[in-house]
Amino acid sequence: MVYGAAGTIGGILFLLELGYLHVYRLPFALSQVNPLLSGFYLTLEVVVTILTFGFGLGFLIGWARTTRFIFLRGLGSIYVDFFRSMPPIALIFFASLIGAIELKGSNINPYEVHNITLWLGVVALALHTAAYQAEIVRAGILSVPTGQTEAADAVGISRFRSMFVVVLPQAFRLSLPALGNEFSSSIKDTSLLSVIGWLELSGIAFVQTSLAFKTYLYGSLVIWIMSGFLYFVVTYIVTRTVRGVEDLYKVPGLEVAR
Amino acid sequence: MSSIRVRGVRKSFGDLEVLRGVDLDIDPGEVLCVVGPSGSGKSTLLRCINLLVMPDEGEVYLDSVALTDPRIRPEWVRQQIGMVFQSFNLFTHLTVKRNVMLALRHAKKVDRATAEKTAIYQLTRVGLADKLDAYPAQLSGGQQQRVAIARALAMDPKAMLFDEPTSALDPESIHEVLAVMGRLAQEGMTMAVVTHEMGFAKEVADRVVFFDGGRVLEEGSPEEIFDRAGHERTQAFMKKILR
Repeated sequence: MVYGAAGTIGGILFLLELGYLHVYRLPFALSQVNPLLSGFYLTLEVVVTILTFGFGLGFLIGWARTTRFIFLRGLGSIYVDFFRSMPPIALIFFASLIGAIELKGSNINPYEVHNITLWLGVVALALHTAAYQAEIVRAGILSVPTGQTEAADAVGISRFRSMFVVVLPQAFRLSLPALGNEFSSSIKDTSLLSVIGWLELSGIAFVQTSLAFKTYLYGSLVIWIMSGFLYFVVTYIVTRTVRGVEDLYKVPGLEVAR
Repeated sequence: MSSIRVRGVRKSFGDLEVLRGVDLDIDPGEVLCVVGPSGSGKSTLLRCINLLVMPDEGEVYLDSVALTDPRIRPEWVRQQIGMVFQSFNLFTHLTVKRNVMLALRHAKKVDRATAEKTAIYQLTRVGLADKLDAYPAQLSGGQQQRVAIARALAMDPKAMLFDEPTSALDPESIHEVLAVMGRLAQEGMTMAVVTHEMGFAKEVADRVVFFDGGRVLEEGSPEEIFDRAGHERTQAFMKKILR
């Protein structure tokens, strides 16, 4: 509450300051709303794709890393080591360029090829966040006390089943705060997709900036402030949703202060 | 109820030989208390009986079935022999009732309604009918341990193992847990109890085993072991804990 109020007052003061500097022109700002909103919707679409795909894959890899099968563990750890050490921007370029080269000369029409290379960039980002989420899931599984599996063993539940009914429900609850953190960080990584031609929020902002700067010196500042606000909206929706899920999984008697 | 026989069981963890050839008999309906210094292998012995730990050598029999036979599924064994831990190990994310139902649903594959009925019955028996929908973290230690006992009993075991069931409890809770165990003994359950509760051992146990250095050093009636121990090592231990 207090932080929210302070933030709002700060924001108003900042906008007044810009107005004083004649940076801030309402008609110009309004003219940017529609283009930026179209980018916003595209960003939402990409974010949902990346989070769904990244979480699914991250979960499987994180689980693989805790099994007793050396082959699975090794595979998982190679995956994580690789994707955690690559800058996401390099992965995006790599994926879309490989796609472009592979599809060159094929009989798929150029428009489709372009579309595919764009989505390969999204896949690259999903693979990147999956590596981080795998580590979160692994930590969650390892933080369930061994007494829990032992108790499940002792009543005759098979190891495979106790994973689903005893370990994972607890691991999931323990992982949620860290997952929310990773989600919000991978949302902002989608801005990197503009480098391969995505017209999502950042891509649109770049285009609008280059259109505006000849006529209005401070236009780019206004545009980026507006798109920053829209990123905040996406992040807020996602982190609040995670918090809602946290509440859903809350165990009476085990509440943690936050 | 069933008998348990342990024959020549050995177990090492790395270089450490924890069990050095243990022979032990528990007759049907008998209550056996295992006492001994910490690190002597008492817990490992119990874990070898329900195969939570696989013995390196030797056999364990439940009635005439060799549990250590590789063709026998450990899951089956553990459904026959209930176990209660020192630290309760209740499933923290489930209510008391669902803690008891879980193994019925996922190991015995009993339908939901029957599992629920069994859970309520067992929880009533340990005096927790009013805590069905509470979570473990909302209960006292003694209540948690009684839930753990109900959880084991719900599987309708042929024998029960207790691994220091009262060591983590306050005196008041110790009493309520021991009362439940005493009643179970009266009903004729075959029980192996690792404990330091000498009062309980004297009152309830049919036989006491003194365990030291990975083997049975001495066994006899509670009086024999506590008051007239033959072995020097046993005498020294008893002197310390009985003060």
